[in-house]
Formats: sequence, structure tokens, C-alpha cells
Amino acid sequence: MKTDNKLKGRDLINVGIYAAIYFVILFAVAMLGMIPIFLPLLSVLVPILGGVPFMLFLTKVKKPGMIFIFAMIMGIMMLLTGMGPWPLLTCAVAGLLAERCFRSGEYRSSRSAVLSYGLFSMWVFGNYLPLFTDYEGYFAQRADYGQAYIDAVQRLMPLWMAPVLLLACFVCGMIGGTIGRKLLGKHFEKAGLA
Amino acid sequence: MAYSSERSQENRRGFLDPRTKLALVLLLALFVMGGLGGEALRPAKTAMSFLPFALLLIERRWKSFARGVIMLATGYGLLFIMPRLPGVLNYFALFCGGILTRFAVTVVMGEYLIATTTVSEFISAMEKIRMPQAVTIPMSVMFRLFPTIASEWKSIRRAMRMRGIHLGGARASQVLEYQLVPMMSSTVRIGEELSASALTRGLGAPVRRTNICRIGFRAQDFILLAGCLFVILLWILESIGVKLW
Repeated sequence: MKTDNKLKGRDLINVGIYAAIYFVILFAVAMLGMIPIFLPLLSVLVPILGGVPFMLFLTKVKKPGMIFIFAMIMGIMMLLTGMGPWPLLTCAVAGLLAERCFRSGEYRSSRSAVLSYGLFSMWVFGNYLPLFTDYEGYFAQRADYGQAYIDAVQRLMPLWMAPVLLLACFVCGMIGGTIGRKLLGKHFEKAGLA
Repeated sequence: MAYSSERSQENRRGFLDPRTKLALVLLLALFVMGGLGGEALRPAKTAMSFLPFALLLIERRWKSFARGVIMLATGYGLLFIMPRLPGVLNYFALFCGGILTRFAVTVVMGEYLIATTTVSEFISAMEKIRMPQAVTIPMSVMFRLFPTIASEWKSIRRAMRMRGIHLGGARASQVLEYQLVPMMSSTVRIGEELSASALTRGLGAPVRRTNICRIGFRAQDFILLAGCLFVILLWILESIGVKLW
């Protein structure tokens, strides 16, 4: 495509629409993370459920920059919802990787779309980073959740979980992307939305 | 009657500038909910926690105020009766109380921000701090869509429930497909209409947009912003190791 590559108002509005859907799903799922057993499982659930809106979003992406902006918006939303500044960093990295990947498929290839969502999903790992970079401090802050909660989380999240979680985000992102693709074909293309 | 849009804008003008509100949300998210600064900043955090409630009262949002107070009261109530409960219930009460007391303040502040800021106010404030359009347009679209998505999702859930598609129903496994997909397609359709209307009003046009709404810092903004700076200063002092008290 040799058309104008500058982002227009419509592209930015599209980013907003899909980011809103993605965030609502993310938020609903993240509420589960309050229960200790679901905390590590978030790196499975968020990428899988977020796959549908993201795949739908990718059908609107035809210019460079949109995926990166989407990722940064997620980072800002995490900052506003009290997850601290770490997600901003992982969002920037994951957003750039996903952007490059989808661009190499010329914004069409469905295989690079799935891979791109896998890479994008790795931003979720940023929400765990405060736990792993400052293991003691993290639990000191959450003392008001009660000792039972802290014990449960410490049992579930030993330090070696960090790479496992990152990998889980990526793999589940690919799974979510595949599911998203399937649903896209089944529902949205028929309705003329994809 | 002489209609003056200038005056009607002045009447609708909120108590605070959107920029001040945003700074407050960010600070509350980082310090009160994110737990930055630890125990040493406890008095400052407590003071900050009262702020959103006071703001809701000033703007006469009685309902939101009552909801916030009830949330906080339930949280502290649970923490209070916690030691008197047996076994598992004890843990449950502590946990719910911990979450409620931690989140209530930021939720109330977020509600205040969304309820009292119109999209045009938000955009013109963002233009004033030279935030690039790549951030402001998606963000304002998002905040405009959240309530829409919530109400759409509610009606879709109700409709699907009638057919037994809900968690715990006969066809629970279909929840994902039959709730998420309609929610998404209706949101996308609404979003497309929104996008058409926003574009006709020149959002994202290459020229500089003018805006009728009046924003600007007044005395109350300066006081609160000074308060924000003070908290940040305390935090810096505390983290380089100065003993505060």
C-alpha cells in the first residue's frame, strides 16, 4: 500500500473504540485476580479473552503506529488504575514488537496477526513486575489484605514464575489470537464488521 | 430571552480545571492505591483520601457521594468485625475489607472525573498541555464509550440469560461467544457512528480546533496543585532518606 501513511482522525478513533472494548474485558477479568489462585492465571485469561477484540482491531490497522498507540494507551490506563509505571515500559516494548511483526505481514497476513497478538500480550507481564523486582516490598504494601492472602500468593508466585508467566502470556496470546480469528470468520465478517 | 452560549458555558463550568482533576487521579492512583511511599506518607495519604469526597460534595453529586461512603463504611466495617468471625469467614472479611478500603477512594475520584468533565473540556485541557492527538483522541473516545459498553453489556446479558446462557446456567460454556461477540459488534457499530459525528465536527482535522468551553486555573486549582507538589516533594525527601517525623 502506497497511500498516505499518516494517522488520521478516523484511525485514532478506531484505536479508541477497540482499546475501550479490550480494556473493559481486561478489567472484568482482572477483578478475578483478587483471588490468589487467579493471580498467575491472569496471564492466561487476559490474553485469551482479549484476543477477540484485538483481532477485530487488527482488521482496521492499515498504517504504522496504531498498534503502538493501542499499547501505550493500555499502559496509561494501567497507570491510572494504580498498577504503577512498569506496564508503561512493557507496553512500549510489546507494542513495538507487535507493530513490526504485523507490518512484516503487510497488515494483511493472518499468521503475522496471530503472532503479533502473542507479542502484544506480553505487556501483561508488566503488571507482575513490581512483585518480582521488589519481592519483600510488594507484600509489605499488601499487608492489609491479610496474612492468608500473602501466604497464598507467595506460594503461587515464587521467583522462578517470572519467565513462566512471560512465556504464558505469549503462548496464550497466540491461542487467543487463533480463537479471535475463528470468531472473526464466524461472526464479524458475516456482519460486515471485519 | 437573550441566549448567550458564552454565559451558559460559564455556568456549566466545573469547580476544578480538568488538568487539576487528572493530576489528582494520577496521584491518588500512585500513592493511595499503588502504595508508593509506604508507611511514612500515611498522614498525607489519609488527607488525600478525603479529597474526592469533598469534591463530590462541592459539585453536589449526592448519589455518588453516598455510594462512595457506603463502600468505605462496608470496608472498614468488615475490617472491624473481622477478628470476631470464625475461620474462613475471617479471611474473607479481611480480604474484602482490604480491597474496599484500598479501592474506594480511587474509584470515587475516577467517578468524579468522568461525571464532571465533558469530552470537549477534556480535549481542550489536553491541547493546552500539548498532549499529542495520538493520545487524546483514543482516550476521549474510550471514556465516552465506557458507559455505553456497560449498558450494552447489561442488556445483552439479560437477553442471553433468558436463553439460559449465563454462568451457572444450562449453556454456560457458550457465555464467551454469545455475550462477548454481540457486545463487541454493537460497540463497534456505536463507535462508527460516534466516529462519523466526531469527524464532521472536525476532530483530528489538520487545523487547530477552537473550543467554546472555558477552562483555566483558578484559586482552588492552584491550592490543590500545590498540595500535589507538596506530596511529591515529601515522597522525594522520604526516598532519599530524610527522616520526616
